Amino acid sequence: MRFAFLLLFCLSAVAALAGDEPLRLVLHEHKFTPEQFDVPAHVKFRLLVKNDSDADIEWESDELDREEVISPGEERTIYLGPLDPGSYPFYDDRHSASKGVLIAK
Amino acid sequence: MIRAGPLIAALLLAGAAQADELRLVSPNEIDYRELEIESENSAATDGGRDYSLDLGTGVTRWWHLGAEFEWEREAGPGNPTRLDGVQLESLIRLTEPGEGWLDAGFYTEYTRSDLHGRETPDDLLVGGVFLKDIGRTTHTLDLFLDRPFSPDEDVSGVRFSYTWQSRWNLWRQFAPAIEAFGQAGRIDRPDGFQGGQLIVGPVATGTLLLGPIGKLRYEAGYLFGATEASPSGTVRWKLEMEIPL
Repeated sequence: MRFAFLLLFCLSAVAALAGDEPLRLVLHEHKFTPEQFDVPAHVKFRLLVKNDSDADIEWESDELDREEVISPGEERTIYLGPLDPGSYPFYDDRHSASKGVLIAK
Repeated sequence: MIRAGPLIAALLLAGAAQADELRLVSPNEIDYRELEIESENSAATDGGRDYSLDLGTGVTRWWHLGAEFEWEREAGPGNPTRLDGVQLESLIRLTEPGEGWLDAGFYTEYTRSDLHGRETPDDLLVGGVFLKDIGRTTHTLDLFLDRPFSPDEDVSGVRFSYTWQSRWNLWRQFAPAIEAFGQAGRIDRPDGFQGGQLIVGPVATGTLLLGPIGKLRYEAGYLFGATEASPSGTVRWKLEMEIPL
């Protein structure tokens, strides 16, 4: 019974990630927060990227085949997955020192 | 970094000496708030050469406009390289990348070829361009129809061509791919498989970040002829500079 509840809880967590609630990422003063975060493998999910700086940014990941220009103060939704397990680096193309990594598990 | 500008310009112009119809279009390649300068080139073992220089930008997040200049040297000894056409290109992204099962776009290209007194007809090309990401791989399929505007019945008629590429997004600097470019001829008079052109082969792709200048994307590969009507080998290379606006 406990195992069934645990399984249900895990499935619900995965479903939440894959469903309505997006993962959030903020760029402020050339730094992504969080710089590293986990996502479930083999599931589609949304990443909501907010540009909290005073210049355009271009969120980009070559491994994820995505790029998105985001104006100051703007939020953009990026649709990702399903991903194989592994690390997927991303960066701000306009300031490539601003970078992070998404880890699919 | 200051020295990178002339170097990139030289590379682009060196490339600008080839592109006829080795056309690979991703529905997500909009280049919003960026200036794209692209040089695409191919050289076949039969002596044919195609070069192009393309300028474009994303007018909106879903509409890319570009202009392209094409030079061609026909197969055979002694043929000159000449400006073959000027194109206007439009790509409309129909889907948000990754939102649905498949990304799709609509591509249009009008080529003005009546240059230097030549009698090459103008041409209108339209097509559906599709992309699917699976894990760390990206698969692109383009299906094109084009129609030359010629009073000559043998020249006019709607022709079908296609492009496919599957890429493994291994690293930013290097992502290997396999691609194919095919021309099946007129849809009302199909050439048959051996009568159409099909070239297939491996290609290396990647992106180099150049700081505030932008980034340089490259593609280079060798394509083998798969039908009797195809050149036995074709070298294809492309350099694309994306400069933030």
